[in-house]
Amino acid sequence: MTAPTEDRRTALATLVTVVGGLITAGIAGLVGIVAAPARLANARIWRRAAATGDVPDNQPMTVVLTARDEDGWYETKKQSVIFLDRDGSGYRALSATCAHLGCRVHWDQAASQFKCPCHGGVYDRQGNVVAGPPPRGLERLSVRVNPQTSDLEVEL
Amino acid sequence: MKARLEDFLAWLDDRTGFRLIRFHLLDEPLPAGTGWFFTLGSILLVGLTLQVVTGTVLALYYAPTPDHAWDSVRFITTEVRLGSFLRGLHHWGASVVVVAAALHLARVVLFGSYRKPRELNWIVGIILLQVILAFGLTGYLLPWDQRAYWATVVAINISKLTPVVGEYVAGFLRGGPEIGALTLTRWYSLHVLVLPPVLAILTIAHLYFMRRQGISGPVREKSGVPSPFFPGQAARDLVMAIAAGTLLAVLAWKGAPALEPPADPTASSYVPRPEWYFLGLFQLLKYFPGKLEVIGALVVPGIAMTLLALLPWIDRGATREWKHRRLALAGFGFGAAAVVTLTILGGRDKGVNAAPATWNPQEIAGTVLINTGTQCTKCHSASSTIAGPIEPGHIAKPADWLATHVVDPEVIAPGVRQPPETNPRDTAAILAALARLRGGPAPAVDAATQQVSVLLTRNCLTCHTIDGFGGTDGPNLSRVGQKYDAASIARRVNNPPDVDPNAEMPPFGGKLTPDQIQAIARFLAARK
Repeated sequence: MTAPTEDRRTALATLVTVVGGLITAGIAGLVGIVAAPARLANARIWRRAAATGDVPDNQPMTVVLTARDEDGWYETKKQSVIFLDRDGSGYRALSATCAHLGCRVHWDQAASQFKCPCHGGVYDRQGNVVAGPPPRGLERLSVRVNPQTSDLEVEL
Repeated sequence: MKARLEDFLAWLDDRTGFRLIRFHLLDEPLPAGTGWFFTLGSILLVGLTLQVVTGTVLALYYAPTPDHAWDSVRFITTEVRLGSFLRGLHHWGASVVVVAAALHLARVVLFGSYRKPRELNWIVGIILLQVILAFGLTGYLLPWDQRAYWATVVAINISKLTPVVGEYVAGFLRGGPEIGALTLTRWYSLHVLVLPPVLAILTIAHLYFMRRQGISGPVREKSGVPSPFFPGQAARDLVMAIAAGTLLAVLAWKGAPALEPPADPTASSYVPRPEWYFLGLFQLLKYFPGKLEVIGALVVPGIAMTLLALLPWIDRGATREWKHRRLALAGFGFGAAAVVTLTILGGRDKGVNAAPATWNPQEIAGTVLINTGTQCTKCHSASSTIAGPIEPGHIAKPADWLATHVVDPEVIAPGVRQPPETNPRDTAAILAALARLRGGPAPAVDAATQQVSVLLTRNCLTCHTIDGFGGTDGPNLSRVGQKYDAASIARRVNNPPDVDPNAEMPPFGGKLTPDQIQAIARFLAARK
C-alpha cells in the first residue's frame, strides 16, 4: 500500500515545481515588460537650421539645433549638432555624430576634413570616410529651402 | 564572571551555531607554504567591502537626474565634510579593486590553482571580473560630466553591435530614445540595486567553493602540517590590507578625482577618454575599420574571455609545475602583455583638441564683459543676494538656457530686475566665453588685450576672422602683422581709401577714438 502514497507525493512534487516555476517565469516576464524601454525613437520633423545667407562658401557651418524633447518624465531640450554646407547650387546637411561609436566630430579647417576625437575617424567635406574605423560616412540629413522664409530646414 | 560568559556563549552557540560558522570562516587548514601570494584575494574582498561602504555614503547625497546629478556630485566634493576624500576613496577604490582582481587572477593562473577540482570556482571568478567591470562602467556615468556622457555613448553603441539582439540591448541600456534622464536612472539602478546582490551572491559562492575544495597552496607541495587561517595567514592579509588601504587613502587624499564639465552633447572641444582600465579596449577599437568594428568591440574581447574561462580544460599538464604547463602560461602571458601594451598605447593617445589652446578675441571679450560689464555683475557677485558669482568650471546650465538667460534674465527669474542693455555681438561674446568657461578659467591677458578684444568683437569680427572666429567678408586678420605694420593698419582702419582707393571697408575714424584705433593697430601688427 505504499505505491499510491509514493505516486501522490511525486505528483505533488511535480505540481509544486511546475506552479512555482510558472510563477517565477511570470514575475520575470513582468520585470522584462516593465524594464523594456517605453519609446525607442522620436519622429523626425522639419526644423529651421539657418538662413540661406548664413552658410559660408569656404567651410561647413556648425549649427546646434535645439528642440523640446520628452525624456520619460523629464522634459528637456534635445540638442543636435549638424554641419550645413553649400553643395553646388544647393545645400548639404550632415550629422555631427561619428558613424563609428557616436562621438561628436568637428571640422578641421587646416586639413579640410571632419575628424572624430575618439577613435580617429576622418571624413571628407562630403562626409565620406577617409580614414579610421567608421563603417560608413556621416549621416546625410534631408535639407530644403522654405520658399516663404528662404530659411534652410533640415529633417531631424 | 568567566563561567557566566562561557555559559552565555554556549547558550548562543546552541541557538545560532556561531562556533561552526567561526570555524568555517577562520579555522580553515591551509597547506604548508601558503604565503604572501595568497593574500591578493583578501585584498580584493576588503576593497569590494570598502566600495560598498563608501558607495552607500555617497548615495546619501547623490541625485540621479540630469538636472541634479552633476550638481550633487559637486556638492559632495566641495560642501560635504570629507566629501572630496570620500569620493576619492570610491573613485580610486574602483582602481584598487581592478588591480587587485587582475593580480589575483594572475596568481591563480601562475600557480595553476584553477585546475581540477577548482574549475567551477575559476568560472565564478571570471564572472565576478565581468561584474566588477560592469560596476566600473555603470558607476562612471553617474557624475553626469563629459567623460561620463561620452563613455556611455560609446558603450551603448558597442552594445548595438551584438548580433541579432544588439538594437534591443542598446535600447534597454538607454531606456529612452536618447541618452538622458531614463538612462541615468537605469544605470543608477544597475549600479546600486542590481549589481551589488549579484556581487554578494557570487562572492559568497566563490568563498564557499574555496573553502569546500581548500586552498591550492604552492605549486610544488611542501611537507609540513597544515596551519589554520587564523591567525597566521590572517596576519599576512591584515598587513597587505593595511598597505593597500594606505595607498588608497593617499591617492584619495592627494588626488580627488576631477569632476569634468557637465555633460554637453554639443561641445566640440572635448576629447573623450575612458577610465584607465578600459583604455585597452578603447585602443583595440581603432584597429578594426568599417564592418570589422564588431571584431574589435566584441569578438576579440569575447574570445579572450572564453579562452580564459576554458583554461582548466585547455591546460591538462601532468602537474601544476610550470614545465608541464608551458602552452597555457605562454598564452596567458601573451594575453596579459597585449592588454598592458594596448592600455599604454591608449593612454598615450591624448587626442586632438578641436578648440585651440588659446582663446580668440571674442571669447576674451566675453570674459571681460562677464567680469567687468554691468550685464552680469549686477546680479552675479559674491555679495549678491540674487545670484552667486559666475565660476569657471562650475557652469552646469545647458547652452540654450544660457542663451535665453543672457538675452533676458527676466525669462528665467521673473520680477528680479529690468533686462540689461546689451547688443547681439556682446551677447554672442558672453555666450562664447561661457562655453569656454565650462572647462575652466580663462587665460590671464593684459589690460590692453582685454580692451582691444572688446573693440574687435564689437567692430571688426563681423567681417574679419581672427583665430578661427569672425566673418568672411573681409580678409582673415589672424596673421596680418606679417604684411603690415601698426601705422599702416591704423591708417586703414581710420579711413580705408587712404591706403586702397577700391576698399569696401567702411571708415572707423568717426566711430572709434584715435587711441582706440592705435590700440587695435598695435594689437594686429603684433600678430605674426
